[in-house]
Amino acid sequence: MVAISTILVVEDDRFIGEMYVRSLQNAGYKVDWVVSGTEGLETATSKLYDLILLDIMLPEQPGTDVLAKLRGGKDLIPHSRVIVLTNFDQDDQSRAAMQAKADGYLIKADITPRKLIEIISQMTTVA
Amino acid sequence: MAVRIADYFTLHQRRVVWLTVGLQIMVTSVLAFLLFNSHFNPLGVAIFVLLPVVVLQAFAFIVVLRYTLSPLNVLTRAIAHISKENNDVIPPNINGTYHERTGLKPMVETIYNLTVSEPKTTAPKNSELETTILEHIPSGIVALNAKREIIYANESAPVITDPKNQRSIQLLFEGKDNLDTWLANSEKNAVSDMHAWTRVQSSLPDSNTDRRIFDVFASYSKNGTGGVETLIVAVDRTTHYAEDEEDMDFIALAAHELRGPITVIRGYLDVLAEELQPELKADQMELFRRLSVSASRLSGYVSNILNVSRYDRRHLQLHLREDRLKDVYSGISDDLGLRASTQNRLLNVTIPDNLPTIAADRNSLSEVIANLVDNAIKYSAEGGVVEVTAAVEGDFVKCIITDHGIGIPSSVIGHLFSKFYRSHRSRQTVAGTGLGLYISKAIVESHGGSIGVSSTEGQGSAFTFQIPIYATVADKLLGDDNGNEGIIVSDSGWIKNHSKFQG
Repeated sequence: MVAISTILVVEDDRFIGEMYVRSLQNAGYKVDWVVSGTEGLETATSKLYDLILLDIMLPEQPGTDVLAKLRGGKDLIPHSRVIVLTNFDQDDQSRAAMQAKADGYLIKADITPRKLIEIISQMTTVA
Repeated sequence: MAVRIADYFTLHQRRVVWLTVGLQIMVTSVLAFLLFNSHFNPLGVAIFVLLPVVVLQAFAFIVVLRYTLSPLNVLTRAIAHISKENNDVIPPNINGTYHERTGLKPMVETIYNLTVSEPKTTAPKNSELETTILEHIPSGIVALNAKREIIYANESAPVITDPKNQRSIQLLFEGKDNLDTWLANSEKNAVSDMHAWTRVQSSLPDSNTDRRIFDVFASYSKNGTGGVETLIVAVDRTTHYAEDEEDMDFIALAAHELRGPITVIRGYLDVLAEELQPELKADQMELFRRLSVSASRLSGYVSNILNVSRYDRRHLQLHLREDRLKDVYSGISDDLGLRASTQNRLLNVTIPDNLPTIAADRNSLSEVIANLVDNAIKYSAEGGVVEVTAAVEGDFVKCIITDHGIGIPSSVIGHLFSKFYRSHRSRQTVAGTGLGLYISKAIVESHGGSIGVSSTEGQGSAFTFQIPIYATVADKLLGDDNGNEGIIVSDSGWIKNHSKFQG
């Protein structure tokens, strides 16, 4: 029952990325931030994170592909939780596909960093 | 000059009078002449006076009668010709200038024109032709018997045949206004009835089948001829509605674009307010709160637009799960509390703990409550009280949002839940898209619930929505939903409820 402490933010929008990094750091989390799907995939598999915040509309490869590679067959990130953060509501099928693989799905415009931190503070690490 | 139909009779009457008078003068002159030459011999009087008078009078009357009655004869034949009675009357020939001059021609033409809009049905019945026409008409035609079984369906009809050779109508009606409820009502209350639906689709947008969109017209007549009680005509309007869909796609795309900047504005306000808190004066903090409230409103409007665009394209799908109204509310209570306090309204929320669970899609229901509370704030006065209460009613949990504001005139209550409807008065003074109540109704009805309002002008309004108690619909939901795992849903999106969280 360990609280989340390390977080990877995969977000290509600089304003939004900085916003999450800044508020999460203020709240005491250790945060890394990458800006493309490919980097996200590499970083997530090369270092252990308690939580990965994953955008969908990402350069190089979309978050859906990243998630499919991370958790599609073999779970490459068994130590991490994943929250998909997006502003583009998916239609039902792709949302259901992500729902099966991710631990959460949130609309960025509908939550403030404070709300996000509140949610993260309720989560615990995988093991 | 042409004679007006209305003047015809007067003219004709005048002509008859002159003719009669002329003939009388002529007859009298002849009689006088004969009497003068007869020398009053009785036999002579009989032969030379009475006989010629009788003969001439008879002749005169025949002439008068023929002349006066001839138009009547023509009209009678014309009317007889267009009538449906079986006769061998020869239609009058009205060509030539005579009838034009007297004014009879336009009358007969008028009679003939009556038949143009109503084609003659005397042509022999050609059932083969009719069948071909019905079969290939570019609209679906379905006939149902008294047991609502399909007894006829043409080529274009939205009808599917299952492996057991059972035919069924493939139309997805929205909500309670569907063919079945209309038929049930007609069978019970009507001898004949008609109804129309627009924008009825044959399948869901995501399915792989060729999706068509119809306007549907149905007529019902009890004990109809040939065993046909219900006749359904489905006009394929897919192309027409496709244009709307493209517009909607554009709106959805634009609304999605808006979310990026909104995220940044909301987020940085949050970050700034927190970081600057020690240095900010109380009134400056209040300004931050107002900014936050406005930004969260903006994000609510965008969600409304997106939901309306989904709903209108029939894309809006809800995921109903067991939930408590209190928990749904707690996800948005901070936000709504802030909205109320920044605008000097008092928000009183009393949702009892012991209410049964409901079958709810938390995001969507949160939007409904936010829309209703937002309206209550907008339409009440500074310092006003907005109350949110809840109670059980039958198989439903009902939630009532009451304000003590300007109220709604009874004349507009019926339009309130229409798209883009905003009361005339509010248009100038209160901001909004006019989508809030429309989408709220759509969402509540998609839950299997209902929404309504009671209001007294000048005293305030009470909006009530009802959501089914989970236990009453659980069987159905579990049947529909394969992955019914527990989920913690935040005010937006969802978070999986790992069992570890409960420790």
